[in-house]
Amino acid sequence: MKVISRPREIADQAIAAIQAASDADALEALRVEFLGRGSELMAIPRSFGKLASDERAAAGREFNQARTSIEAALEARTRDLERTRLDRLAELEPIDVTFPGTPPAEGRLHVLTKVQRRVEAIMESLGYRIEVGPEVETDWYNFEALNLPKGHASRDMQETLFLNEAEDLVLRTHTSPMQIRCMQRYGAPLYVAMPGRVYRRENVDASHGAQFMQLEALAIDSDISVADLKGTVQYFAESLWQEGRKVRFRPNYFPYTEPSFEFDVSCGVCSGKGCPSCGHSGWLETGGCGMVHPNVLRNGGVDPEQYRGFAWGFGIERIAMLMYDIHDLRLFYDNDLRFLEQF
Amino acid sequence: MRFSYEWLCDLAGVKDVAPEKGAEVLTMAGFVVDHVSVIDYAGIVVGRIESQVPHPRSRKPLWIHQVDLGTETRQIIAGAPNAVPGTLVPVALPGTTVPGGVTVRDGVIAGEAARGMLCSAAELLIEDGPEGILLLEAGEPGQPLSAVIPNEAILDVEVTANRPDCLGHLGLARELAAGLGRSLGRDFMPRFTGGVEPKGTDLIQVDIEAPDLCRRYIGAVLSNVHVGPSPSWMQRRLRSGGIRPINNVVDVTNYVCLEYGQPLHAFDLDQVRGARIIVRRAEEGERLMLLDGVERSLNPSMLVIADGEGPVALAGLMGGEESGVTGLTTRILLESANFDGVNVRATSRALRVRTDASARFEKGLSPELALAGARRAAMLLAELAGATVHTEWVDEYPRPQDPVRISFPPERIDAILGITVPREEMEAGLTRLEFQVQTDGDGEWDVFPPVYRLDVRIAEDVAEEVGRSYGYDNVPATLPAGRRGRWLPFRPSQERTLDAARNSLAGAGYDEIVSVALVSSRVLEGLGIADRTIRVVNPVSDEHDVMRTSLAVTLLQAAALNRQRDRAALSAFEMGRVYLGRDDGPEGQPDEIQRLAMLRLAGPEPDEGRAAFLQVKGAFERAAEVLRLHDISYEPATGVLFHPGRCARVLVDGRPAGHLGELHPQVMERFDLPGRAVLLEVDVEPLLTGGRDRRYAPLARFPTVDRDLAVVVGGDLPAASLLSTIRDSGGELLKGARAFDEYIGPQVGEGRKSVAFSLTFRSPERTLTDAEVDGELARVRKALTGAHGAEFRA
Repeated sequence: MKVISRPREIADQAIAAIQAASDADALEALRVEFLGRGSELMAIPRSFGKLASDERAAAGREFNQARTSIEAALEARTRDLERTRLDRLAELEPIDVTFPGTPPAEGRLHVLTKVQRRVEAIMESLGYRIEVGPEVETDWYNFEALNLPKGHASRDMQETLFLNEAEDLVLRTHTSPMQIRCMQRYGAPLYVAMPGRVYRRENVDASHGAQFMQLEALAIDSDISVADLKGTVQYFAESLWQEGRKVRFRPNYFPYTEPSFEFDVSCGVCSGKGCPSCGHSGWLETGGCGMVHPNVLRNGGVDPEQYRGFAWGFGIERIAMLMYDIHDLRLFYDNDLRFLEQF
Repeated sequence: MRFSYEWLCDLAGVKDVAPEKGAEVLTMAGFVVDHVSVIDYAGIVVGRIESQVPHPRSRKPLWIHQVDLGTETRQIIAGAPNAVPGTLVPVALPGTTVPGGVTVRDGVIAGEAARGMLCSAAELLIEDGPEGILLLEAGEPGQPLSAVIPNEAILDVEVTANRPDCLGHLGLARELAAGLGRSLGRDFMPRFTGGVEPKGTDLIQVDIEAPDLCRRYIGAVLSNVHVGPSPSWMQRRLRSGGIRPINNVVDVTNYVCLEYGQPLHAFDLDQVRGARIIVRRAEEGERLMLLDGVERSLNPSMLVIADGEGPVALAGLMGGEESGVTGLTTRILLESANFDGVNVRATSRALRVRTDASARFEKGLSPELALAGARRAAMLLAELAGATVHTEWVDEYPRPQDPVRISFPPERIDAILGITVPREEMEAGLTRLEFQVQTDGDGEWDVFPPVYRLDVRIAEDVAEEVGRSYGYDNVPATLPAGRRGRWLPFRPSQERTLDAARNSLAGAGYDEIVSVALVSSRVLEGLGIADRTIRVVNPVSDEHDVMRTSLAVTLLQAAALNRQRDRAALSAFEMGRVYLGRDDGPEGQPDEIQRLAMLRLAGPEPDEGRAAFLQVKGAFERAAEVLRLHDISYEPATGVLFHPGRCARVLVDGRPAGHLGELHPQVMERFDLPGRAVLLEVDVEPLLTGGRDRRYAPLARFPTVDRDLAVVVGGDLPAASLLSTIRDSGGELLKGARAFDEYIGPQVGEGRKSVAFSLTFRSPERTLTDAEVDGELARVRKALTGAHGAEFRA
């Protein structure tokens, strides 16, 4: 005689098996065994038709309880097993975290682009408009208008590459012709910064190039002074490096400014005490500056009785050399990947 | 310029200031001291040569000396034969580092003991030139050398072009004194004049025929001159200044030049023919043998000093050989003149002659300095050469220097400097620098700069002097505080706008390079891209004699350089200008066009070149897209740099912007590059200005359906034509179409190719059914067949 198992017994048996199961595959097998279509439990409702209606209700309840308890046991055991697996993740899926990363196939921006971005951003934060202009200049813009008359010895400060025999078309030797162009374009008051390539007739070596980058700033306003120039340069130095960097003005001579200065920034390594990076002077030579000469204002169409101005500038390579401790100007233009990849 | 610190201190009346401190004072006054060389003779003594024999075994010529050092005699070996017995020489003892940097050791040279070193002038930093051991004029064996030649500091000072008054020790001493808060206490103009008859004006006649180029000519006559060596103190100071002593007359002229900065020249008056001097322009082709022994051909742009028969000196540059002072000279004409700086500079450059005199004249000297220099030199010649100085010198002064008065309210200086300087400090500082200050009734100042300060003309110049003496360290740091009623709104610069494209290209694996825009004309001509070249007329080398007309050159040079350094793979870009001469006239400014160029190296196989082409194209399109939304298209083209079958013209929004292509094998060979490479070069301007603004498009609410389509067509049909047909026939539901593969081979037959497209369909209103999409696709197939005879692969 066939023994018809009562649902509760099946459930007890199933729950015991479920609780003993050790992984997800075993649980799936048990689910099929006890709840699958061909399972003993699922066959039970097919025999309900033979029962009386009151018996049927009781049997149905019993069947449902059994199924629900098995399902609950499966779910509980699944959660248990998952918890156990998560607890053991470190043993199950370890990787060597010290293994080197896979580098992206990215290229790099040139260090001069990066430095130029930075210095331009500082100028813009002071309200200066960035302006660019021609590199091939006329003698008038490059020299004459800047108080450098023809034949004057001060022209020897900037050895010039000429583009015609008449020597009135030159590769600009500085960005200063843009002072005149901006004054002519915009008038006063005026706050502009002018980056760009400049050229000199130089034999190329570690500290001289036939071409380099300058950035020059020009401020023209009704009541502007050396003190304002000094503050502006100091703002720049503290923005580029750290707060507290000091600026020193040494009198110098440029025909287009009066008074004229070279500016030094206190050494960041030794805070001005003197160390090998600053040649033991405590100061780093950084750029040149001065109050715009009245003749230059006049040549730009600005009335020197009404306005004064200051101009200051530096070599972008010089700033990069100071920032990254580079000692050879030629590296910037060789485009050796071993150099480019360091920035 | 080299300055003797001892001399400066002597003139400035300074006794107690170390050379380093003095150098700092000068640097902060605007005279940058590049270098302080302290010459310390510790460890060097005077020796007397007792004997000298050639070294018997050395292969190099060496001499063995026995040297008396007072308490002992040492054997010392030297490489020069001039230290003959009886001479006094400087001897560096073992362990000493001589000023020139050599450290002396006890040693043995080819079997002979060498127990010290006989020093040359160069090793003692006394003088650069002469070979051989320095022979001393005085001293006792065993005495420290510093008893004969004092220890010394030499300052190497950058004197700016506006301060020729400081190209002499007197001027710089004045600055040193002022920087230390003192006055020089010495009159600029010496009082000495000659007093002996006959009058100088009766002995020589001077005519200035070119007063535009010679502002003043003083000719003093001195007789009974005894030419001989100058005293050792003078020789030492000359050597400190880098000048070799010659004889007392020449030495005095050089000494005064070093002292005052006024160049002087001494003629042997008996060699001045006709007892007259004419200052005139040279005649065309006139020739003159200068003191350096080289004959020069002159022209009328140059100024000469001529006597009754012909030129005897090149004005402001160098004397002639024939009229120079010799040991037989007894009467001299001392020239102290003022020549035009621009003219001296032009002559100096034309003849490539640069002298101490021309370096001073070309900066523009005060004609008043000529008299001061003449008086000082005459006084020294009377003292040191026993000369008789005649009264009434010739002084032709056709264009006297105008006195300068600068009037302004002293508040103007405060406004320029941005600080209120106490009036008495202002005045004291100016007075130390020998300016005179007078106050008007209304408080305005009249400032009179000293005659030698031609650089001071306007109130700004005076402000600089006040600032220097008051100290720029005392000026506060402020920012401009003007109430600006006018401003320029912020606009990002073109370079910073392009940064988005730079970032995109870097992200795609391209390194940015920056190159020198001066390139070699030979390279441009070799590549056939030398049209419209801008040429430098005075290049330093033929490697840098023209401006680049294409960024291809500098990118290829970078690739070649990196290949030489074992970096064969390169993907790089450059953004920079090319320079193209304009047809409308070579004298005008050229077009300077900002371009983007990309270069990618690839392997030697044809497929590798094609892959690189598509990679460059894809990276470029993305970079262009981050700037603006453009329609970028390509059409087959040719170009001198490119592979004839692999070159496209790039059209940005329909406008030709440049080229993309694989480089011609001959171009690769020229740069010694193996394999293949793809170059793109386009103008940047259309990328920044053309195209469409970016606008947000609402996100799609219904899913897309993707279908691939493999189209078999004739092998030379461009994919762009197929795409255009697909887009035109696809209807509203076709949202995108791109080509993703190309196949040429046996499966599609000779002369044909298969191009695979991916098509994307979507409706804004509903989810599309397969049947709808199939219908759309059928229409596209039909159009392709109709237009191009296309067949389709499964």
